[in-house]
Amino acid sequence: MMKYLLSPLFLLASLVMNAQDQETTTDSIQQLEAVQVTAKVKKSIATAMKMNISVDEFLASSDNISFIKRGAYAWEPMLNNMSSERATITIDGMHVFGACTDKMDPITSYVESNNLAAVNISSGQQGSANGATVSGSVDLKRKTTPFSMQPKWNGSYRSGFEFNNQQFYNQGNLAYADQQWVAQGSVSYRKANNYSDGNTNEVAHSQFEKFNASVGLAHKTGKLSSLRVDAIFDQANDVGYPALPMDLWLSRALITSATFKQLYQEGWLRAWDTKIYFNAIEHYMDDTTRPENLVHMDMPGWSTTYGLVSKAHLMKGNWHSEMQLNAYDNLSIAEMRMYPQDRSERTMFAYSWPWVTTRFAGLSTNNTLELSAQSELQFGGALGINYNYSKYIDFNWIFHPGAPQEKTRWLPSLYATYHQSIQQFDVAIGGGYGHRAPSVSEGYGYYIYNSFDRYDYVGNPNLKNEISYEVNASAGFQNDKLSLKAKANYFYIDNYIIGKILNMGSPMNYQSVGVKGYTSLAYATLFNFSLDAGYFITKNLQWKGMLTYARGMDNEGGNLPFIRPLSYQTSLQYQYQQFGLQTTFNGDLAQEHYSPAYGEDLTPAYAIWNLSADYTFKLYHFETTVQLGAENVLNQYYSTYADWGNIPRMGRNLFTALQINF
Amino acid sequence: MKMIHWTMAILFGMVITSCTLSKTDYEAELSTAIPETTEFEEAFSINSNGYQIRVNALGGTFYKGYNELHFEITETATQEAIANATVTLLPIRTTTNAEAYSCPHSEVVAFQTTDAYYEGYSVFDVETDTDASWVLYLSITVAGETFNLEQPIEVAEQENLNLNMTSFTGNDGVQYYIALIAPVSPSVAENELIAGVYQYNEPETAGGDFPDPSQFSFSEVEGATLLLDPRMPEPNMGNHSSPNNEDLTQEGDGLYYGVVNYTMTGNWTLNFIFQNAAGDVIKGTEVPTDFTPGVEGEKSELYIDILF
Repeated sequence: MMKYLLSPLFLLASLVMNAQDQETTTDSIQQLEAVQVTAKVKKSIATAMKMNISVDEFLASSDNISFIKRGAYAWEPMLNNMSSERATITIDGMHVFGACTDKMDPITSYVESNNLAAVNISSGQQGSANGATVSGSVDLKRKTTPFSMQPKWNGSYRSGFEFNNQQFYNQGNLAYADQQWVAQGSVSYRKANNYSDGNTNEVAHSQFEKFNASVGLAHKTGKLSSLRVDAIFDQANDVGYPALPMDLWLSRALITSATFKQLYQEGWLRAWDTKIYFNAIEHYMDDTTRPENLVHMDMPGWSTTYGLVSKAHLMKGNWHSEMQLNAYDNLSIAEMRMYPQDRSERTMFAYSWPWVTTRFAGLSTNNTLELSAQSELQFGGALGINYNYSKYIDFNWIFHPGAPQEKTRWLPSLYATYHQSIQQFDVAIGGGYGHRAPSVSEGYGYYIYNSFDRYDYVGNPNLKNEISYEVNASAGFQNDKLSLKAKANYFYIDNYIIGKILNMGSPMNYQSVGVKGYTSLAYATLFNFSLDAGYFITKNLQWKGMLTYARGMDNEGGNLPFIRPLSYQTSLQYQYQQFGLQTTFNGDLAQEHYSPAYGEDLTPAYAIWNLSADYTFKLYHFETTVQLGAENVLNQYYSTYADWGNIPRMGRNLFTALQINF
Repeated sequence: MKMIHWTMAILFGMVITSCTLSKTDYEAELSTAIPETTEFEEAFSINSNGYQIRVNALGGTFYKGYNELHFEITETATQEAIANATVTLLPIRTTTNAEAYSCPHSEVVAFQTTDAYYEGYSVFDVETDTDASWVLYLSITVAGETFNLEQPIEVAEQENLNLNMTSFTGNDGVQYYIALIAPVSPSVAENELIAGVYQYNEPETAGGDFPDPSQFSFSEVEGATLLLDPRMPEPNMGNHSSPNNEDLTQEGDGLYYGVVNYTMTGNWTLNFIFQNAAGDVIKGTEVPTDFTPGVEGEKSELYIDILF
């Protein structure tokens, strides 16, 4: 596969290089900064509350992301209240697939807040640029240092301690830039013990340890072109999952890429950005720390991906366009190794992912047409081809005799949104249509134990494409003091894939109560609504509020699982010179629309109060910020609708943080 | 540029060495569990009456359970294979009390023209032991001339539990034998399950000169059904079973064919209910279908254990 990917790349690179010889332009260092045409960019990885946070905590502050949590680590992000297989989650457009069948390693767990610059979240089919999706896309943007006229070093150091789980972390960044070269690196190490819940009881198996490092090297290959290589290495050890019968012994990820970028000063083609990438993930779960288990089981998983992403920016008059080619090849392998009472004797074996290959190639386009100074039309679409191959199809034949070993699917997508501003108001209305292919687990999974509803899940290679029809609308108002924004979307999803109890087979995992097969519902519907407001009470004092509501139903009017109940957040921020004070109050109402069929019970309402203060000063000539705060000040005992096994969340947590920039 | 090459080389090196835990070699896993007995080799050969009689078995060994046997008869003088002989076979086990027993076997073995050998079978039900010594009696008729041979043999323990067998007395008082023939090397997959089902026919007349084949008569059971319920018996598997299995029914070659799905490697029990052609239960009981973690799986009164 790599061979096939490389040859067009080199061809393309040589073309671009030749073209660039004819360029005669003035200095253009500044222009090498990335051209960003994205709908919503979350700037800098910090929230108002807490300046040094995990990627998960950061994403949680977005109004269309919610999380399934199995412990303190590696939360599974849900976009528009849909599980992660319905979203494309990428790092700089690169596809990385977790190696855990139980989704204990979403991609967000393989990066660290200090190697990310921003997170782009696109809702629904607007996120189809990086691959076929239903709920949208989350693209994690890595930090990139621009070239500099003068040789320049800069860096930062962050450290902090969280008292509840004795989490101690240290993070460092260092970058060098001159006219020709950029070199940058980051290192992060966190270690946490078990946390305590609101009743100050320790939650066993909630510890974690994570090391992350990244390096990047860029060279200016011409006045308007650059070549860049990047790598992220991430390793987590001894991560406990209190909601599961087993823990993570080790996970490692190596995420590498080489990017060639060419800018153009004339003509309709403005920028061309091509990246080849490779990533390898290994994820080893076992239950050596759970002697109480009857049967001992190891669940190692591997996921290897090669890919290409090539993006061109086009501009002509009032039309901006982005064309993108995506191609990747992924091999997912997961094993179940069971031991009888005696661990030295390994006697039982099965694949939970029987060497499943996924190949995808897709061409997508995002366009903006400025109709007038007050109105614009965004439209686009994609056409992808998705191929699956299950090497040990025998496993899949046990439940689906005669299912094809190979399957090819076409995945089209279309969307359009119209924006209109009228003085201080702006409104938008849009619609979308798109297909997605079943994920590896949904198509080819084999006895994947889900500890939420305690069923073993079996994939079905014959599943149809999930087809989403969506409409969305937003309305906003903004003046000097007040901002208000209401957003809503509605998805009607044909062939909605979900696990249904099979009246055949019997569970394999001893905690399990039965077998569920991934099945297509005739359809399901999802509605999401959010309201954001901000108000400057005085120049130094700002109030913010957020309200979200969602409802998901299957074709029989039953509730879909993991739909967030009405949730709210209200915060006050006070900033006086170098001193800042923040307080937030947030909570969910009771989850009335829970789904017993999917193992849910009624989660009661909860409300949490957080508080923090920070102060920025010069230490020698370094800009330094210290922060002190408390989360869950009132030490509430609570768990959310999406906590597996109703594992309680963390109780009162005092935290301190220090950041030095130089 | 050089620096970039180096970086790429280092990254590539990291990738190569990156796997910490090695993947299971699944194919090797399946084959190591199965002894290497896939080739027919000579078990013994006898020169007699101007002929060489060579008996081939899998791995050159007789095992407890179903054994396919190949007989080659060559004229010693001309080294020519003899195709038109009649070969009858009678395995006899003698106990220390000098009691003689036999086991299911093909009485007359048929010549396979394509492979130029005579093919038969014997389902040895007991391993050779101090209390059990086996002799294979052969009676060969070539060109109107009959000669009898006897060869003491060893019956080894069946190393491949996928070829396990069971013998029992049915509710009708008849002695029955069920021997697994395939899959020799099962996979986590749908496996075609083949078994031979035999019965002992009580002699109707007094015996003649030992060994008298009429005293040791066995036949294939006709038209019966073996209802199948495979389960993993170990307590930690909680009576786990598999879907889409098919009961065994008789086909043209006299053997019984069905489908067993093994959902993972390990110990499995094939629970049977044996019904005769009239649908009466000859042996076997239904097993509970509940998932009972921590409890050893209950077995039918008629079962065969396998392991792969």
